[in-house]
Amino acid sequence: MADKIQKVVILGANGTMGAGAGEVFAGAGFRVAMLAREHDKAEAGLKAAQSAARAEAVAERMEIGTYDHDLARTVAEADLIFESLAEELALKRHYLELVDRYRRDDAIVATGSSGLSIAEMARGRSDSFRKHFLGIHFFNPPNVIVGTEVIPGTETGPAIVKSTVGMLGARLGRKVIVTKDRPAFVGNRVGFKVLNEVAQLASERGVAYMDYLIGPHTGRAMAPLATVDLVGWDVHRAIVDNVHQNCEDEAHACFELPAFMERGIREGRLGDKTPEQGGFYKRQGGQTLALDPRTGSHGPLKKPAPIEFVEKMKSLNRVGKYAEAMAALREAKGADAELCRHVVLGYVSYGLSRVGEVAQIPRDVDTIMSFGFNWAPPTALVDLLGARVTIKMLSDLKLSVPTCLEQAASEGARMFTGGVLDYGRTLVG
Amino acid sequence: MAKPAPVYILGGAQTDFARNWSKEGKHFVAMMREAVLGALEAQRIEPKEIQTAHVGNFAAELYAKQGHVGAFFVEIDPAFSGLPTSRHEAACASGSIAILAASAEIEAGRYDLACVTGVEQMKTVDSTTGGDYLGTAAWYEREAKGIEFPFPKLFGRLGDEYDKRFGLKDEHLAHISAVNYSNAKRNPNAQTRNWFMSESHAQQQSKFNTVIGGRIKVSDCSQVTDGGVALFLASEKFASQWAKRNNQSLNDIPRILGWGHHTAPLEFDAKVAESKDNPYVLPHTRQAILDAFRRAGVAGVEQLSGIETHDCFTTSEYMAIDHFGLSKPGESWKAVEGGVIELGGKCPINPSGGLIGAGHPVGATGVRQMLDCWRQIAHQAGEYQVEDAKTFAMLNIGGSGTTSCVFVVGK
Repeated sequence: MADKIQKVVILGANGTMGAGAGEVFAGAGFRVAMLAREHDKAEAGLKAAQSAARAEAVAERMEIGTYDHDLARTVAEADLIFESLAEELALKRHYLELVDRYRRDDAIVATGSSGLSIAEMARGRSDSFRKHFLGIHFFNPPNVIVGTEVIPGTETGPAIVKSTVGMLGARLGRKVIVTKDRPAFVGNRVGFKVLNEVAQLASERGVAYMDYLIGPHTGRAMAPLATVDLVGWDVHRAIVDNVHQNCEDEAHACFELPAFMERGIREGRLGDKTPEQGGFYKRQGGQTLALDPRTGSHGPLKKPAPIEFVEKMKSLNRVGKYAEAMAALREAKGADAELCRHVVLGYVSYGLSRVGEVAQIPRDVDTIMSFGFNWAPPTALVDLLGARVTIKMLSDLKLSVPTCLEQAASEGARMFTGGVLDYGRTLVG
Repeated sequence: MAKPAPVYILGGAQTDFARNWSKEGKHFVAMMREAVLGALEAQRIEPKEIQTAHVGNFAAELYAKQGHVGAFFVEIDPAFSGLPTSRHEAACASGSIAILAASAEIEAGRYDLACVTGVEQMKTVDSTTGGDYLGTAAWYEREAKGIEFPFPKLFGRLGDEYDKRFGLKDEHLAHISAVNYSNAKRNPNAQTRNWFMSESHAQQQSKFNTVIGGRIKVSDCSQVTDGGVALFLASEKFASQWAKRNNQSLNDIPRILGWGHHTAPLEFDAKVAESKDNPYVLPHTRQAILDAFRRAGVAGVEQLSGIETHDCFTTSEYMAIDHFGLSKPGESWKAVEGGVIELGGKCPINPSGGLIGAGHPVGATGVRQMLDCWRQIAHQAGEYQVEDAKTFAMLNIGGSGTTSCVFVVGK
């Protein structure tokens, strides 16, 4: 069981998430074996973990090794095997087969995949493996972002799920939700719906305008298109394509990758990790350039003309008057405000409509959006506007009204389970 | 003197000390709003019930170019318009001075319900500028002007003074750091709850653990923190009503049982010169502790369930250990080695993580310490609860051991 875990093996310890997960486990006092294809790569993972921890001493709880030399031995000794290999099903299945061969019968096996099917990974493995296999989805960087999704497979033992959730919360300080095995799970499904929708809108309306209109004042630490640059366009595409191909829902069209991004990716434009090509933004000689989606080239970033209601929301958030800021969004007239409401209320609608489908309760959506994305929890936005007012706004915008919202409105109950001290940080001035 | 009227603590709330309010684009009034509105909601108190407000803040003039901080309380809620408010400053002890002022008003019978708020926004400037601002808590012209990070150097000298008089091993300071970080992992509002720390890291001088000044390394230091805290102090009259409407007995409400408050000469050299023949390095701090014990009717440290102390640096906690009486003067290391100060030990120090682990928003720290004492006595401390806590003490220090404020909290 997860509460007995002492020894962890990381497969793919050289990747960003593998090294980050290794740091998180070692920081919590576990012994960690960092494995990669080659010794040098495993060592690079360990160095990355030291940088994340800002302490050389984190390595005192780590050993490094390669799949060829050390996988059989370390897996046989491990209480938890955490797979953080590249997001290729065949590759993962290959190594999970090896894990199945060498693991102890009671060892838990977790995949860190951000969206691949848990069932596909478990298929063909032993009974004991399937019973002990689940997804543990960390967000990047895991030592800073504590939101975590746990995804049981159909055959995962309930006690394994429960003890893993308990271990992640109590020993790793994670904010954990349990999700169904659906494409992109909860966080990326809801988050990338909004991010891709904003990218689509940027095709016509421009990058700087969209990031200004749907900026941090609407309940996010970072503007949407800057976020996509940070995540990487390739990762963005993998997530939205996965949902677009495998989910039919009310926002299906929002998951279609905009053509200019498709072209950009072909030309090697992947966001911050390709500084030469840039992304929505590009840094050049101390200057920030913005992409013109119509031409595919960057030009000087022009600050959009101030919009009255946006500036009002920012100044209200700045002094902590969050309900007043949301009221300003509600009351604002004109096309800018209508578009902003469409995206922000669209987030509330889409997020809370996932309850029952992939999330269990509204609080799960809140937890993962707040602690995985640093976005305002959808139910906190509902409470700030009022449930009945939110329903009216959704109807006016022709967006679907989530069942849990209708229920809250009929009961006259508040939806968010915390208070201002829990959501205030997400509403930026 | 007649025994003063009792002062009850009705709990409160704090902001998450890991937040960076400049990154959030916020003014410190947002911090005050969240802390006070959060506290009102958590403790089921109506804004209109508050009769007086006291704000602890060290240096908003420097960090935010804004004075008259007490008046910002009125901005929190329309019901506060007209409320008597004031701001209190004694460097890192500002929060305690606000508590002293509020509790004196309750004792005097002027008001029945006071809100004490502590607030500091420090991440508006880079660390070197911030270090210079903090230098104004010392005698700036003589001890801080033109010196990079003056305070780590001053508290390094506190360690040096211990070393000179009694001997001091840095491994004991490293252990103090590791205990605070470890406790902070249990505190959902602690700034460092997701940071890595180990005793061996705290012992090593390395790329990631550089020397800041003298014997003080990064791991010996408290944090640069943005934070706001609010709590309520009440007369017996209000506390009885409040207890009744929450189905509690008045006897179950924590009280301030005693206080101590002394101020030593500002300059560190002057303090050391004054105490050269005294068994205690900071005798005025010792006296503040003794005064609080006497007023609380506490015979000694054996009667405490735990302590929240001012560990702005590991050396100041090392000092607190013998000054509270957990060891003979100069023998704090014995309590450190014996596990006395750890959670589960005989007298846990800083179950919250203290200033090193939980964070140190300067003017809010004293209020945070009292809120944590209340949490312990009200058994509301969650994962960092000291089992069966009955009596807690706090020590809040301004400057290099200049202003010392001590409170004993119990039922």
